[in-house]
Amino acid sequence: MIESIPVTTTINRRQFHSKAGYQRRKMTNVVMLSITGFLTILALVPLFWIVGYVIHKGGQYINLDFFTHMPRPLGMAGGGVLHAIEGTLILTILAILFAVPPGVLAAFYVAYKPNTPLGIAVRFGTDVLAGVPSIVIGLFGYALIVKNQGHYSALAGGIALAILMLPTIIRTTEEMIKLVPQTLREGSLALGAPEWKTALSVTLPAASNGIITGILLGIARASGETAPLLFTALGNESFEIGKIVQGGLAGHQSIFTILGKILEQPVDSLPLTLWKYAQQPFPERINQAWASALVLMILVLSINILARIWVQVRTNRMQGK
Amino acid sequence: MGKPFLKTANSPTWMRRLHRVLNYGDRPWNGLTVGMAVLTILVMLAIGVLLWLDSTQARAKLGWNFLSPTLNASWNPVSGKFQAWPFIYGTMLTSAAALVLAIPVSLGIAIFLAELSPTWLRTPLSWLVELLAAIPSVVYGLWGIFIFLPTVVAPAGTLLEKTLGAIPVLKLFFQGPMPASGSSRLAAALILSMMITPTIAAVSRDVFLAIPRAQREASLALGATQWETIWQVLIPYGLSGILGAIILGLGRALGETMAVTMVIGNSIEGSLSLLRPGYTMSSIIANEFAEAVSQLHTEALVEIGLVLFGMTLLLNMLARFLVWQVTHRNPQERRA
Amino acid sequence: MFTKLDNLMTEEKSRPPLMMPLALSQGVTDAPETNPENPNKIEINDFTLYYGKFKALGNLSMTIPKNKITAIIGPSGCGKSTLLRSLNRMNDLVPGVHTEGKIFLDDSDIYVPGVDVVDVRRRVGMVFQRPNPFPKSIYDNVTYGPRLYGIRRKYELDEMVENALRQAALWDEVRDKLHQSAMALSGGQQQRLCIARALAVEPEVILMDEPASALDPVATLKIEELMQTLKETYTIIIVTHNMQQAARVSDFTAFMMIDNPQNRTGKLVEYGPTVQIFTNPKLQQTEDYVTGRFG
Repeated sequence: MIESIPVTTTINRRQFHSKAGYQRRKMTNVVMLSITGFLTILALVPLFWIVGYVIHKGGQYINLDFFTHMPRPLGMAGGGVLHAIEGTLILTILAILFAVPPGVLAAFYVAYKPNTPLGIAVRFGTDVLAGVPSIVIGLFGYALIVKNQGHYSALAGGIALAILMLPTIIRTTEEMIKLVPQTLREGSLALGAPEWKTALSVTLPAASNGIITGILLGIARASGETAPLLFTALGNESFEIGKIVQGGLAGHQSIFTILGKILEQPVDSLPLTLWKYAQQPFPERINQAWASALVLMILVLSINILARIWVQVRTNRMQGK
Repeated sequence: MGKPFLKTANSPTWMRRLHRVLNYGDRPWNGLTVGMAVLTILVMLAIGVLLWLDSTQARAKLGWNFLSPTLNASWNPVSGKFQAWPFIYGTMLTSAAALVLAIPVSLGIAIFLAELSPTWLRTPLSWLVELLAAIPSVVYGLWGIFIFLPTVVAPAGTLLEKTLGAIPVLKLFFQGPMPASGSSRLAAALILSMMITPTIAAVSRDVFLAIPRAQREASLALGATQWETIWQVLIPYGLSGILGAIILGLGRALGETMAVTMVIGNSIEGSLSLLRPGYTMSSIIANEFAEAVSQLHTEALVEIGLVLFGMTLLLNMLARFLVWQVTHRNPQERRA
Repeated sequence: MFTKLDNLMTEEKSRPPLMMPLALSQGVTDAPETNPENPNKIEINDFTLYYGKFKALGNLSMTIPKNKITAIIGPSGCGKSTLLRSLNRMNDLVPGVHTEGKIFLDDSDIYVPGVDVVDVRRRVGMVFQRPNPFPKSIYDNVTYGPRLYGIRRKYELDEMVENALRQAALWDEVRDKLHQSAMALSGGQQQRLCIARALAVEPEVILMDEPASALDPVATLKIEELMQTLKETYTIIIVTHNMQQAARVSDFTAFMMIDNPQNRTGKLVEYGPTVQIFTNPKLQQTEDYVTGRFG
């Protein structure tokens, strides 16, 4: 039994009833909390400002020609960015081809065996790759491919973008695989299916929605990147797939040769074109820069929105809504 | 390796061969996954290795002088004299200034999203903030050159030069005049802060959401206001995570190229001031690499790339460690 | 946030207002006016609480006498904790909560619109089921509350810390490691630290939500002994799953149950002196519960 411990101070100290004190504390509370709301709005101002201006200025110079024509010589009006659109397409396809299969497979390894030395190393490597500046990846692409091939090419650009996408793909896929319930996998194994069949027919489809979201977000990022392409794909204002294909067919070349011809060309992309045009003193080019910005923004933002909606639909479906 | 999937004792040969593949497909599968995992690591190593190898000559010829601070740096591709300090300083100054601007804003956003926002508003608002990070760097640059710089930066520059440029120590960093176009380190810092705010805010928000509910209840039950709880309990609790978020943001700022190059003015002058045009490590590489005039020139640029790689590597490791530390302290007690 | 004069002009003009409107304050006052003849510290008056559409508490009425220990018992999910948390307005933290009825703390309704919730929470302290000390030093945990009120001088804070830790029967164990982390203490010590922390702001009522359920028997005993000492100065209300504990420790007991399995609304079944509830309950339901026939 604890002996009665005398309470040596007066109950309810004066300070605990100071009205002025309360008032000050309440005031501070309201002010600071309002500031956080204000800062949130402040941060969103550039978003709306940029989007608004891009729509305003870019919208003025968009027309059908923009999408379907090649650029005209400097100083002449008209023309379009067909070369850049085709370039972006080729580069994105290459990036997906080079990043998705290795990424998904590596993610399977990491998801199933995260605590082996290799698993830990891959997780570490992914983190590192995610933080490498995109221009350094461009340097790497140059050193690895352009130097050895002797020329700039779409291939080099595609690989550079793939390295950029790789960490995102691995991380998203790994998380999605881990979300697939263990019971699903165990059920399949218990039926006698080998590990690989389980992975491909059971786990992969179950995780596919999330993986696709990850790929979409990776594409959104890759298609907006410029720095890695500066010394890999370089840019090429006369790149036109149509012409290459026509020329190839006329010369009776095989599909592979034609493909090869496409891939070994230096190539422009929308962001690269933007970058170049923005620095040229011709108003025509500047206008086209805004128009490219609009197209680019629409592309990137719609992929982002698509990915989010996908996630929402999938979550709703899983919750039985 | 699994047990045989299908039994084939009495089947024709082709069937047996097919079944062999199906049964033992595990080996190639495992090989593939392991192989791709190894590939990922190889890529990471290869970047470091190639950067190192391709800058050998530069490192040998230019030595430590290349990187040391100096007030009168020369960068002369023709004569072969290279000093990278202006770029290092430019990167550090713009990133530090960007952080000073971004940290309060990001923390404010994180606090609002985690503690104040009604649940239905949280996801859409978070997503809007993240959208800021989705805008391509070149678009930031384009808007910067033609809209933001003339409207905001140029006037701000004149104002800052008059006010802060008169105060003794600060005047070093606020000496003008700012170029009429607004191209300056300040412009780069402002745009950088817009680009890194989403990163810092999103991670900090997650840090706050991971703090157990019991901490808030304890504070409020003692008669603290919400702000007092945030400032005196939650922020100290999540400090290492917030620090990690900040370092992640710093890492992004260091590596940003396009927007910075478009608004920073690309000048090697030795001024310390924010109001003057400058250069960063990534923008010098972007501007000169494709047209480098000599092997030494190229290698000097690669060496700059190597330094950049090293810096972001270290920062990233530090950040991941700090964030991991806080989010793994109480894995069961996440706030819904 | 700021008290409004209008809202304080309730129909109950006979009861003095809880706090003078801040705009009208004549400066610092001392302890709030209390009616010394009122033996009840808290009076719950036809109180109902909704979480959104769900009626968690239905028309509860009860009095809590001063300087006594009142226990609230009942089966899981009957609303005991909800009731407890209504006494210091901690339920406000749940989105979508709204209430009807009144709860009087010393003759002033704490649910009057415009009442200063921060002050209510200081006067009615709370100790939680699982100890939740801040990851700061022991000293900083205890001084957290007082420093909010502007008490800064070291000698004053030192005195308050020793006082609070003595009252919580923790002083002798931690007196030479006040600046070590609170997280290094054992579960029982952490809980007593939380009690000390609550005592440091000099409350009038202490609410305890199953304070010993996460602790070992020895620590539990210490807390129970502590409560007997504390009740001389404070009014204590404890929610407990453990009927033996309620019988050991409390002077008065309130027995709650849900009214029916569909509604799951918590109701007060019986309330009275502990001795009577456990040896001679008035209602059959009460007798069934305390003799262990269910729950």
